[in-house]
Amino acid sequence: MDFVLDYISVNAFWTTLSVIHALLAVALLGALTHQAAAALAPPRAGVAGGFVTHFRSVAGPRYVTAVCVLWVLVFVFGGWIYTKYRIYVRIPIEQEGFFKTLGVFELKEHLATIGLGMLPVYWHLWKNARNTAYDSARKWLTVVLAAICWYAFLIGHIVNNVRGFGL
Amino acid sequence: MSSSTEPSPRLLTFTLVFGICFAILYVVCDMAALPMFTYHPATDRLEFGFAPARRDEGPAMYWYGWIVSSALGAAVIGLVAAMLPKHIGRKIPLALAWIVPIALVPVLVYSLKFYWRW
Repeated sequence: MDFVLDYISVNAFWTTLSVIHALLAVALLGALTHQAAAALAPPRAGVAGGFVTHFRSVAGPRYVTAVCVLWVLVFVFGGWIYTKYRIYVRIPIEQEGFFKTLGVFELKEHLATIGLGMLPVYWHLWKNARNTAYDSARKWLTVVLAAICWYAFLIGHIVNNVRGFGL
Repeated sequence: MSSSTEPSPRLLTFTLVFGICFAILYVVCDMAALPMFTYHPATDRLEFGFAPARRDEGPAMYWYGWIVSSALGAAVIGLVAAMLPKHIGRKIPLALAWIVPIALVPVLVYSLKFYWRW
């Protein structure tokens, strides 16, 4: 990837990767939240509803591939920029003494990794969505993944606010 | 887990056991310092297994190594579980797929006790 640095600065390169990571996370968050809402509280048939009813009226199985692909992509980009985080973000935050900020970020990395390992069974359960024996596990697995995604998204945002771009 | 519409019980057993074991092994690798390799980001150096940070070469990263260790371990256990007789695989509760990760959260929070300074 070094050829890219002939055209843009090092800061611009890593900032671009960080923005891509964040945008992919937004897409993942939206997909998982819709799917979790649909699994947790499916709308009753024949009931005309407003925004909330439409929000949870999505077809969950249609989201599963997108969620898996997006989770992996967000993870790869996150793992890529993690090398720079370790040197240029974590060390200054340590020097400032914001240890709790670092702790919640470490927890985000752990949970995102565990979520990655949950994807195969999540994918399998949703690909067999007609199997009613899977309903409960599929629902709660999706809710747990959505909760992890929300936590990771918010903590990533907080850490970015603490350190900022291009420093 | 039994159902007439179940397409692939062995695949279900593999993915279920993989997910459960990956989460457990990841936490074990983290707490017991068992990365497959150590990465030194400042110098782009890779070392097999656990290696402490080198003087004047910046920090060492173990996260990538934990992922590889736990993924390999979980894949092996998952494959073994998938090869067991189907009636044994069917006895593994599906709920463990989401209960185990939740149960591990307090353990992870404890493992990060260094950061919880008030």
